[in-house]
Amino acid sequence: MSLESRFGRYVDALPEKAWFKFLATHVVVPYWNWGDPKPKLPGGPRPSTQPSENVQRMMNLVMPLADTSSLGRAKAVMAIAQNAEEIFAGLDNVGTVHTARFVILEDNLCMISVYDGDFSNYIRDFIETIGSVFDDVMSLVKGGEVLIPTAQNVDAFIDWVHEHDLFQAPDFPTELFALQDERAGRKRGTPHELRSLPRELILQLQANRNLSLGGGYRAYPGVSAAQVRSRFGMGW
Amino acid sequence: MLTAADDDSRLAEKLVEALYRPDGSRALRPVHALGIGATGTFVASQIASDFCVAEHFSGEPIATTVRFSNGSGCATAHDGWSDVRGMATRFHLADAAATDLVAMTLPEFFTATPEAFLDFAVAARPAPYKGESVWGKLRALLRLELPLRNPYPGETISPDSGAIAFADDHPNARLAVFGAAAIGAPLSYVRASYHAVHTFVVTGKDGTRRHVRFSWQPIAGVANTNKSETPVDSYLSAELRTRLEKGSDRFSLVMTIGETGDAFDDPTRPWPPHRVRIAMGTMTIEAVADDQAEASERLSFNPWLLVHGIEASDDPVLRVRKEAYKISSARRGGAPCPFAGV
Repeated sequence: MSLESRFGRYVDALPEKAWFKFLATHVVVPYWNWGDPKPKLPGGPRPSTQPSENVQRMMNLVMPLADTSSLGRAKAVMAIAQNAEEIFAGLDNVGTVHTARFVILEDNLCMISVYDGDFSNYIRDFIETIGSVFDDVMSLVKGGEVLIPTAQNVDAFIDWVHEHDLFQAPDFPTELFALQDERAGRKRGTPHELRSLPRELILQLQANRNLSLGGGYRAYPGVSAAQVRSRFGMGW
Repeated sequence: MLTAADDDSRLAEKLVEALYRPDGSRALRPVHALGIGATGTFVASQIASDFCVAEHFSGEPIATTVRFSNGSGCATAHDGWSDVRGMATRFHLADAAATDLVAMTLPEFFTATPEAFLDFAVAARPAPYKGESVWGKLRALLRLELPLRNPYPGETISPDSGAIAFADDHPNARLAVFGAAAIGAPLSYVRASYHAVHTFVVTGKDGTRRHVRFSWQPIAGVANTNKSETPVDSYLSAELRTRLEKGSDRFSLVMTIGETGDAFDDPTRPWPPHRVRIAMGTMTIEAVADDQAEASERLSFNPWLLVHGIEASDDPVLRVRKEAYKISSARRGGAPCPFAGV
């Protein structure tokens, strides 16, 4: 094997070499991020007038805990567990939620839910029905105390939730260009080198450290929770 | 006076000509040159006729002829190379009637108009390919870009560079070019999903007309070869023969219903994955056809071979395919295209 071809094989394997990963992480990515920082892309589903885009919408709310010790995380568990009945009754009253659950993930309390309709109204309905639960939760969350009582800080709470709802990566990878263009005020259809897509993703992950991958799978797409309950004669 | 059909015919002639590869054969199709024909049976689901009154959705077993193919127009088999695959299905109906469903593994098309597709075909004409120099790869890595892939063993020409350059300037083409570059090689022709790409308009039992797109989903599941291993040049036809000697394989036909605001006439824009999907039926692939010349090479499919209950949308790429398939069939001396002489 010639020297050139051996060098070529070495370069092909570079992305998996520890030293190159270190260089990329600590020098190359910061360099590009310095020169071309990406604004954070907003969380939650994007606005749409299309019917199936407005049902079964995903929320991935990540709330950083103020006290990340096991003691603090236990308090978060208790805040949810002690209010389970109120939460379930509230979800029934909201009436547009397909599924919802709370998850402790590392230092975060997460609320993962699937709901129908407008995001702001979903949160507004929630606060209306289980605002006291969110007061308990927000008392445990970093920066949450200023939003208590949530029932009297509805708009600020909606903004906070939106800020902490994960960005939903587009279902089609090249759509990332369009979302970045829109955020940066560039017109749709701005030319981009296709090969730059990995860099755009890497830099976007600097701004949005966590994200939801695509819009998710739906077994019965385009159908609201109310339609499902009605079809099966379960009423509300 | 020239008609729209004359214009389509001229454009289709140019398209077919532009699609031939230097390593292809005029006796074969300009794209999807190599393939294998199989026979099967399609049975519609119980609800299919609610959405489409076409004969093959009645629920009666319908004999089918299926041609699986590699997307390339190269006359030599390179099954293991990353490439789009095709699955063309003919449903044999009563009184010697038939309808075709032409699908491929890429879920979207490269351009929104046939004129732009001609530009794409010219831009992506296979050119000498050596991959990227070592310094080019290093530069790409430092720019956080993916280096161009290394040539496959024996690969001397490729459409990749031209296709990528075209996509850089044509946002509509980005998704398909990106998808095609990453598509890989299936373990088997029956372990890939195939998409009809274009929008059709179906009429249901109650007279409701819906804009829809069709996909075949393999019951065996989607699986690709390991791209880090040296690709095998010829295995897909043998694999299908061996597989079908042992038993049958199935595909489910899924029909996605579009909504107002979706791209009905633009095949470059896939619909979001959470549109309503209807399970239209199951096709069982039963055997490799005995007469491959008749069931695969000479057979002339045409996406416009439709029956009562299904209409073509206004997609201009779909429109020109009628002529392009007809011309391609005549050039290679295939069995007469259903629209020959029309």
